[in-house]
Amino acid sequence: MRIGTTLRWLVFGIAAFVMNFPVLATLITALKAPGEVSRNPSLWIEEPTFANFATVLTISDRLNVYHYLWNSTVAALIGAVLPVIVAFPIAWAMARRGVGRALLFPLVVNLRALPLIIFAIPLYLMYAAAGLLDTRLGLGLILAIVNLPLALMLLVNAVAEIPLELEEAARMDGARTPRLLWRIVLPLCRPALITTFVFGFITAWNEFLFGLMLTTQRAVPMTVGASFFFATSGGGVQWGVAAAVMIVAALPPLALGLVMYRRIAGSMVAGAVKG
Amino acid sequence: MNSPRRENAVLAAPLVLFLLALLGFPVMLSVVYGLSETTFQTLTRPRFVGLDNFARVLGDDGFWQAAWFSLRFGVITAVLQCALGLFLAVYLAPLIRRHGWMVAVLIIPMIVAPAMMGLMYRLVLHEFAGPVPHYLYAWFNYSPPFLNAANVFTTVVVAEVLQWTPFAFLLFLTAYQAIPQEVREAAAVDGTRPWRMFWRIELPLMLPTAFVALFIRFIDGFRVFDNIYTLVGAGPGGVTTSMSIYIYEAFLRQGDIGRAMAAAILLFGAAFTLLTLAQRLMRRAA
Repeated sequence: MRIGTTLRWLVFGIAAFVMNFPVLATLITALKAPGEVSRNPSLWIEEPTFANFATVLTISDRLNVYHYLWNSTVAALIGAVLPVIVAFPIAWAMARRGVGRALLFPLVVNLRALPLIIFAIPLYLMYAAAGLLDTRLGLGLILAIVNLPLALMLLVNAVAEIPLELEEAARMDGARTPRLLWRIVLPLCRPALITTFVFGFITAWNEFLFGLMLTTQRAVPMTVGASFFFATSGGGVQWGVAAAVMIVAALPPLALGLVMYRRIAGSMVAGAVKG
Repeated sequence: MNSPRRENAVLAAPLVLFLLALLGFPVMLSVVYGLSETTFQTLTRPRFVGLDNFARVLGDDGFWQAAWFSLRFGVITAVLQCALGLFLAVYLAPLIRRHGWMVAVLIIPMIVAPAMMGLMYRLVLHEFAGPVPHYLYAWFNYSPPFLNAANVFTTVVVAEVLQWTPFAFLLFLTAYQAIPQEVREAAAVDGTRPWRMFWRIELPLMLPTAFVALFIRFIDGFRVFDNIYTLVGAGPGGVTTSMSIYIYEAFLRQGDIGRAMAAAILLFGAAFTLLTLAQRLMRRAA
């Protein structure tokens, strides 16, 4: 191997190690025996064990991980699916007829750049009045707003790439617009729909601020639940268990993200360039 | 037969209704509460006080401290992330062409929730349980207090940069790979050396990407909340209070809804102005 290539591998190794260090160290800590954590903070595990994960996955009064996981799953599903449903029809009209290009499109796309806290407080007040505070539906609705800009951008791009001839052929066969959208356009948009969903699910799962402000108990998502665990364990934090909680919280998006990393990478870039 | 006009309205309806319900109504509320004095006890009976809240926000040193923190944090992290991301993208591109999986390894930090990342740093930097102080003590017999007032800014900057450099890396990698091979070959025929090739040919071609990357990273740094909040909260003496944390604290900790709303409206105004300016600039550059 040439020396240049070796150097490149070295740089890659260092970058990968340093950037992933918190995740790596947390995983290692989670796999240590409870007694070992306080004695041995190094990256070497003396006797690997799943004891911490067993503790986390056992329901206790202080920490019900299944409850948090369920809340996150439901809210993230709403937050990932709803933007696609509301954005798909107008995405077609935007791409094909230029509807809302001047105002609606920039308005939605610019939402991505606004600090989320701006919406959090008025939404809190509205939710308080509407009885949506501390509900999975309420959390899911606001996560849908967060995901809307990217969903709209990806879907408009996807529709624009469908060859016009396919739509024209369907029109010749007498298909009206709803049928055209449902039978022709929607299936052809499948790659973009999957990307939007995967990306939206990860974003929604990882969201923290709205979970923190709009939920207190019944609908607390996993990210917020994990932070509660740090705050409430008065005295010392049980680091092994805490580490296992974080790994459990990070695992669903990580698994999804690594399986679909090409799509994630692609949609990040598409969203950035058009934004 | 539906006229296209009516049909377009029907197609737009789901999105428009959704936006009105979840953003239009709250925007109205924020104007009402921004102009009123309200606490959680008097939530349904806001008392009109005009621009009082805005005056209180603008007269609050904490607000300006938070604004300065967010601005500094946004600029510094954006520049560092883009510099590092550009270097990694260009330097590793020859390897990545043959080993696509390397991208997956490098973007892992982005897929982890920033809030979790903040908590993970609590563990990693912990005096007794954290591996970083452990190795620093073992090798140098010294480990700095990462989270005290003097060091905490550097700590949160490093944490943010390490998590989001992959984003800049990804943008630059895509732009780098999109440069047509013929451009490089033509330059190579003319005897252009690699270093010169980068500065004179490749970097100028990636300039639009650099603008976009800097802008997006700045925006995300400016509005930072999750990772700082879970790592140190407002920080010792409030030194890590970002704009988002300032508003959050005014709202939920101090129950001062009017002041929180006024600060949020000011933040919105600032963000909106910035956004419009940046888009003008980018359009002119493009």
